[in-house]
Amino acid sequence: MPYLSKIALNPRRRGAVALLANPHCLHAAVMNGLAHQPVTERVLWRLETNTPHRAEILVLTQSRPSWQGLVEDAGWPGADGGEPLIADYSPLLHRVVEEQEFAFRLTANPVQSVLQPSKPSPEQNRRLAAPADGRRWPRGVRVAHRTTAQQLDWLFRQAKRHGFTIPPVDPAAAPAPGLEPDTPPVPAPAVSLVSRDILRFRKKQNGPRVTISTATFQGRLRVTDAEALRTALLNGIGPAKGYGQGLLTLAPVPAAVPRA
Amino acid sequence: MTDQAILVLRLAAPLQSWGGPSRYNRRETLPQPTKSGVLGLLAAAEGRPREASIADLVDLDMGVRVDQPGTLLRDYHTVSDHRGLALPSAKVDGKRVQKRTTPAKYTGVTQRYYLQDAVFVVALRGSAPLLAGLERAVRHPAFPLSLGRRSCPPTGRVSLGLHHDADLTAVLGTVPWEAAEHHRRRIRGSEVTLEATVEDPAGEVLAADVPDTYDLKTGTAFGQRAVRHLWVRIPTGHDAANSGDSPASPASDIPAAGADPGHDPFALLGW
Repeated sequence: MPYLSKIALNPRRRGAVALLANPHCLHAAVMNGLAHQPVTERVLWRLETNTPHRAEILVLTQSRPSWQGLVEDAGWPGADGGEPLIADYSPLLHRVVEEQEFAFRLTANPVQSVLQPSKPSPEQNRRLAAPADGRRWPRGVRVAHRTTAQQLDWLFRQAKRHGFTIPPVDPAAAPAPGLEPDTPPVPAPAVSLVSRDILRFRKKQNGPRVTISTATFQGRLRVTDAEALRTALLNGIGPAKGYGQGLLTLAPVPAAVPRA
Repeated sequence: MTDQAILVLRLAAPLQSWGGPSRYNRRETLPQPTKSGVLGLLAAAEGRPREASIADLVDLDMGVRVDQPGTLLRDYHTVSDHRGLALPSAKVDGKRVQKRTTPAKYTGVTQRYYLQDAVFVVALRGSAPLLAGLERAVRHPAFPLSLGRRSCPPTGRVSLGLHHDADLTAVLGTVPWEAAEHHRRRIRGSEVTLEATVEDPAGEVLAADVPDTYDLKTGTAFGQRAVRHLWVRIPTGHDAANSGDSPASPASDIPAAGADPGHDPFALLGW
């Protein structure tokens, strides 16, 4: 049975600062919350960035987690509002039916695979020169999508694959009176890039540097294939899932602004 | 006290400019209508010449409610003579004709400030016969009406009618919200809080916008009046159930305390 948890971190504690500074450490802290070690299940997590004065982690696990150690090291042990929330995730999975609309948020690592990168590293050159056994071509090199247009395009392609579409913006958001254009505007998809970031960190001191380009999408989605979306909710979207990317969360569609 | 009445005006336009005592080439606007501007509008409606006395108008008590605050617009404005001559100077010669500027100055620059897309409700309290005459005049004005400046004609109806004598604050709290539809849509909730300014001898704020005359020969000297700022809560007309501020709204299964209003993934997990 999957569980969704939310843990508030206290950014004034040394333990929390270390976790927030390095996704690799945060990944280890999240994995320590699970009783079955070594962890073999798919764990998805995300550092919530929508609350400017709180650092929160959302974690989706297959088994029931315990965040006591994490809270004692980096949270507010025993404080009101410091208790982690743990909720059964299956009610949401049962609610996912075709044609239903949800608000969604996704922090992901949009990448493409290219066979001819412009500046390959020696390691990449070696890999591109020698295809793996049984392959006619080598595996491409993962290159991040860096522009907003590319990142949104990536999301639309992933949406098709994971059983949802992004409907156009609500037509209630009409232009101001007197500003009607001559040609009717093409309705934009109901999604926005809330934040974009590049995470740079090392796994060990003096170890190789990891660079991950991330994009946070927020908007409205319509379910086209419930089974595929359920799989996406549980298994995540895109790469870098160990570093807090790819967790898709759903919420009720906010009520439309009332009209006079 | 049956000889008193209240006249309610609606001042709305694409542009308004309530200059008050601003001077020289920088013509500012205040965020709310001035008494001088409103009395000038009434005098123009009655067709009074500029030299006529406005003593009866000055005695009216004024209250303003900001239904839609609007935004500030700065107009960069140049002035030059169409014949290509130098602009006149402030000095006059023996025949009291303005001299040309030396050295010759061909372009004058002024900054003019406007309020765009603002709506105000103005209540005037005074003697009933005077206000009845003014109300008729506003609906059949002798001179074109303008909101603070001649280039700012009002849109829509100006007079919202005469009311029985009451407290200015009470009247401003009962007149329906006059905001435009696009502004109404921005405000959620079944009630809106509007800023208001009411003339009150016990008020602690002084506004220097009481005109003595509109005569161009003497110019206007501004007197002071005491005003009080307050907030007025009036219904928006939105359905309370849709606006989400009522505890019985259909979205009440969403946890309210500390929840992110934008995105709460726990809202669908049924707890």
